[in-house]
Amino acid sequence: MGKTITLQPVTRIEGHARIVIQLDDAGNVADTKMHVQSLRGFEKFCIGRPLEEMPRIATRICGLCCWAHHLAASKACDAIFEVEIPETARKLRRLMQNLAYIADKIWSFFYLAAPDFIMGPHAHYSKRNIFGILEQEPDIAKKAAHMRYICHMMIEHSVGRAIHPVAAVPGGFSKPMMEEERKELLSGAKELLEFCKLSLEYAKKNVFTKYEDLIKNLGTINTGFLGMVNDDGTLDFYDGKLRLMKPDGSNHEFGYQEYADHIAQHIEPWTYQRFPYAKKWGGFSINLENPVSIYRTNTLARINVCEKMATPLAQAELEEFRSKFGRPAQYTLLYHYARLIEMLQCAEQAVELLEDPKITGTDIRVKVEPKAGHAVGCVEDPRGTLIHDYEVDANGMITNVDIITGTTHNNAGINMSIKQAAITLIKNGQYDEGILNKIEMAIRAYDPCLSCATM
Amino acid sequence: MALKVVEEWVNACAGCEISILNMGDALIDLFPQLDFVHIPMLMDHKHYGQLGEKDVMDIPEADVGIITGAVRNEEHKHVAEEMRKKCKTIIALGSCATHGGIPAQANMFQKQDILEEIYGNSKTTTPSDIPSQNVPPWLDRVYAVDEVIKVDILVPGCPPHPVCIQDVIKDLLEGKTEWKLPERSVCDTCPTIREKKAIAGVVKRCFENLAFNPEEGPDKMRCINEQGFFCMGPVTLAGCAGRTGVPRCIAARMPCRGCFGPIRKGANPMVDMMGAMTSIGLDAKTLADRRAMLNRFIGAHNMLRPLPARPPRR
Amino acid sequence: MSDEYEPIIIGFLCNWCAYAGADLAGTSRIQYPPNIRIIRVMCSGMVHPNLVIHALTKGADGVLICGCHIGDCHYLEGNVKAQSRAEAIYLMLEDFGLEPERFRLEWISASEAGKFAQVVTEMTETLKALGPSPYSTRA
Ligand code: SF4
Ligand code: SF4
Ligand code: SF4
Ligand code: FES
Repeated sequence: MGKTITLQPVTRIEGHARIVIQLDDAGNVADTKMHVQSLRGFEKFCIGRPLEEMPRIATRICGLCCWAHHLAASKACDAIFEVEIPETARKLRRLMQNLAYIADKIWSFFYLAAPDFIMGPHAHYSKRNIFGILEQEPDIAKKAAHMRYICHMMIEHSVGRAIHPVAAVPGGFSKPMMEEERKELLSGAKELLEFCKLSLEYAKKNVFTKYEDLIKNLGTINTGFLGMVNDDGTLDFYDGKLRLMKPDGSNHEFGYQEYADHIAQHIEPWTYQRFPYAKKWGGFSINLENPVSIYRTNTLARINVCEKMATPLAQAELEEFRSKFGRPAQYTLLYHYARLIEMLQCAEQAVELLEDPKITGTDIRVKVEPKAGHAVGCVEDPRGTLIHDYEVDANGMITNVDIITGTTHNNAGINMSIKQAAITLIKNGQYDEGILNKIEMAIRAYDPCLSCATM
Repeated sequence: MALKVVEEWVNACAGCEISILNMGDALIDLFPQLDFVHIPMLMDHKHYGQLGEKDVMDIPEADVGIITGAVRNEEHKHVAEEMRKKCKTIIALGSCATHGGIPAQANMFQKQDILEEIYGNSKTTTPSDIPSQNVPPWLDRVYAVDEVIKVDILVPGCPPHPVCIQDVIKDLLEGKTEWKLPERSVCDTCPTIREKKAIAGVVKRCFENLAFNPEEGPDKMRCINEQGFFCMGPVTLAGCAGRTGVPRCIAARMPCRGCFGPIRKGANPMVDMMGAMTSIGLDAKTLADRRAMLNRFIGAHNMLRPLPARPPRR
Repeated sequence: MSDEYEPIIIGFLCNWCAYAGADLAGTSRIQYPPNIRIIRVMCSGMVHPNLVIHALTKGADGVLICGCHIGDCHYLEGNVKAQSRAEAIYLMLEDFGLEPERFRLEWISASEAGKFAQVVTEMTETLKALGPSPYSTRA
C-alpha cells in the first residue's frame, strides 16, 4: 500500500469529519473514506422527555437548520396529539421557515462555498475564505453578510429567537403577528427578494458559467433523488408527500408517515453517520461503478424531483436550469445553483405570505391533550428531507425517537463524490493543496451538516 | 495590533457561531482588528498540515482561543488541550462549552446504553456494532470545557447574545482578560407583572398558549410561573435580553428553560427553583420530568448522571 | 474489626439545642453507634440542601440534620426554613436515585440526650439494612 492522505478537519462545512485517501503503490487512489467523527445521542436522551418540549430540544441538533428541526418536531407533536393547526399558524410557521432558510442559504453559498469560486480552488487557504471575498469583492460580500443578518433580525423581532426558536408549539404558534409588524417584515422581505435575484444573477455570471468544466467533472455520480412535493408536484418545504426518483428519472410517491417502508439505513464501522438507502431498490452499495439503492437529497434533489417551483421567478429559473442540465441533473456542483433557485422561492414566498392579510389572524393555536401515540413529522430542511419519528406513552412522555436528517441521506452520495473526485484528480502520486481542496469542494456542494447527521 | 484568534467547535451545533455572525455590521467593523488563523467553519487550515502530512495536531498560536460545544469524545479533548497550549486566553462560548448544554442531557444515561440505542434500535436500521474504526471514542460522559482545561472566560447562553460576544471581544482588544455577566436573574430583566402568587398549585404543561393580549407588550402579561406554567427565569442568569430587550423566550410568549445556566457558579438551580416555586405556591412535585427539566442546559459538572443501577427501595 | 458494613452518617447539629443535646449524651455516657460524624452549625436553617446532596453523592451514606424544636430556634425561624427545605431535599433524593431514608430531620432539645442517641441508633440500623450509598466509593 502507498501513502495515506488524511485531511482533517474537512473545512467550510458544518461538523466534524476526516477524509482519508489511500493511495496504491503507483500513487493512484485505492480507496477514500469520510469518517464522521462526532455524535451526540439525541435519539437516546430525548427518551423520557415530555413530548411538548421536543420542539425546544430538537433545535439544538443544529444551529443552522434549527427551524427545520423545530418545525419537524412541532409537526410530529401535532400529529401525535391529533390536532389540525389553525391556518394562520401554518402561515406563520411557513413564513419563519422561509426567512430562516434564506439566511441559511446565504450563509452556505457566500460564506462556505463561494470562496472556492471567487478566489479559485487553488488560492492559498488564508485567502480562500469569506475574509478574502471581503477584500476582493467587498460589495457583494458585505451585502450578503448584511442580508443574512437582516433575515435573522426580522425573525427575532417577530418571535424572539432566530437561533433555536421557540415559537412553533404543538397545536400551532405561540404568538400572533400584529399589523404593524407585518408591514415592517414585508418591506424587509422585499429587500431580501431583490438580493436573492441579485445573488442568482451574480452566481450565473461569475460562477456557473466560469466553472462549467469543473461542474461537469467534479464529484459527479449517478444516483436517485428524494424530496417533498405537494399534490400537484410543486416543491414544498413545509408539507406534502415524499417523492423518490430513480436515476433514470422515474419516480414514486409516498406519505412521509410511511418513510420506514421505503428507506432503510446501513451502518459502517468507520463512521458515526448512518447510510440511508432506498429499501425497495434491492441491496446497498456505494461502489462507484455500480451503486445500488443510492439516492441524494438537498437542493439538487428537490429541484430534480419537483414538477415545478411554487413561485413565478423561481419557476422561470428552474426552466432555464432544466433546459441546460436536463432532469434529473446529476452534476454535483449544481447543488449550488439549485440552492440559489430555492432561495429565490423562499423570498418570493415570504413576500406572498406577508401580503396575505390572513397572516395577522389571532387564531393561532389549538389546545392539545396528552395521549399515547406514534407519529412522524417531516419537513424539507435546507440540507434535505428531515424526518422526526416519535412514540409517546399515555402521559405524553417520549418512549422512542428516530431521526433522519437531510445530510444523513446524502452520506452515500458524499462518500461517492469524494472518491470520484479523488480518483480523477490524484494520479501517479501527484497532488497539491489545490487538488485536495477540489476534493473538498465535492463535499461542500452538498453543504453537509455533520452535526445534524450525527445528532 | 490585530488580535490573533483560533476558533473550534467540538460537541456543538453551530448556533454559537451563527450568534457571532449576528453581531451583524458590528462584526464586519471588528474584522480588521481580528486575525483569524484557524477556524474550520470559515477557513481551510487543517490540524495535520495542509497536505495531511503531519503526525501531531498543530493548531497555530494565538492570543485568543474560542471553543464552542462541550467535550464528548477524545478528539474534542485533544483539540481543547491543543488550544490551551497555543492560546493565551481561552473562551468557552455557549452553554454547551460552559455547562454541557442540551447534549449533556446524555449524562443521565450510561454511555454504552446510548450507543446501543443509536446503532441497535433505530426503526430503519439492522442492529450493528458501534462504529469504532478511525472514529474518536466517546469519553464516559459529556464534560464542560472547564472540566478538561483551564478556561479564562465563560460566556454562557444557548446561544450567547451577540452583545455579550461583542463585549468580550472589545474587552479583549483593550487588553482585558476577564469578563463576566452581572449576577442577575432572567426575572430581573423580565417585564411581566408579578403578584407573588401563582394562580394554581399544580404546574401546567405547555399544552396551550399563555394568557396574554397580543395587542399589548409582555409588560402587560402576567408572570409565566404565576400563570402556572413552568419558567426557569428565577434561577437563570440574565443576558439573553441583550442590553435593553425582553428575555428572548418571554418575547415569544414562551417560558424560559434556563439556557444561560445558573446565576452564579456553584448554584444548584434544582434546589433554588424548588424554593422559588414553593414561594409562590407552585408545587415542584407536579413538574413533569423534573430532573431533566431543571438541568436542561447544565448536565455537565456532574449535575446530571445516570441514576444508580440499584433501584431505590421503598 | 468485623467486616460488617458500617455506614457513615454526616450529622449537621445546630449549636443551641441539638449540639448541646448530643454533648449531653456524651457526658452522660449514653451509648450510641460511632457511625455519625458531627458537624456543628449555628442553626439548622443554615444547612443548604446542596450540602446534603453533596455529602450523599461524595461518600456519606446518610445525612442527619438536627435543630431546636419549632418555636425554640435561637434565630426564631431557622428550623422552619429547614423544614420547608426538607421537602425539596426529598425530591432531590428521588432525582438522584437515593432512598428517602438516607436523610432525616429531627428536633432535639439541649436536654434530649436520649432522643439523640435513639435517632442515631435507628438511622444506623436503617442504613445498614439499605447498604452503602450508590455513590459510595468505599469498597
Ligand atoms: S450552546 Fe447552544 S447554540 Fe451553542 S453550540 Fe451548544 S446547542 Fe449550539
Ligand atoms: S418567572 Fe419567567 S415570566 Fe415570571 S418574571 Fe421570571 S422570567 Fe418573567
Ligand atoms: S428566556 Fe431563558 S431559555 Fe429563553 S433565551 Fe433567555 S435564558 Fe434562554
Ligand atoms: S438555632 Fe437551633 S434550629 Fe435554629
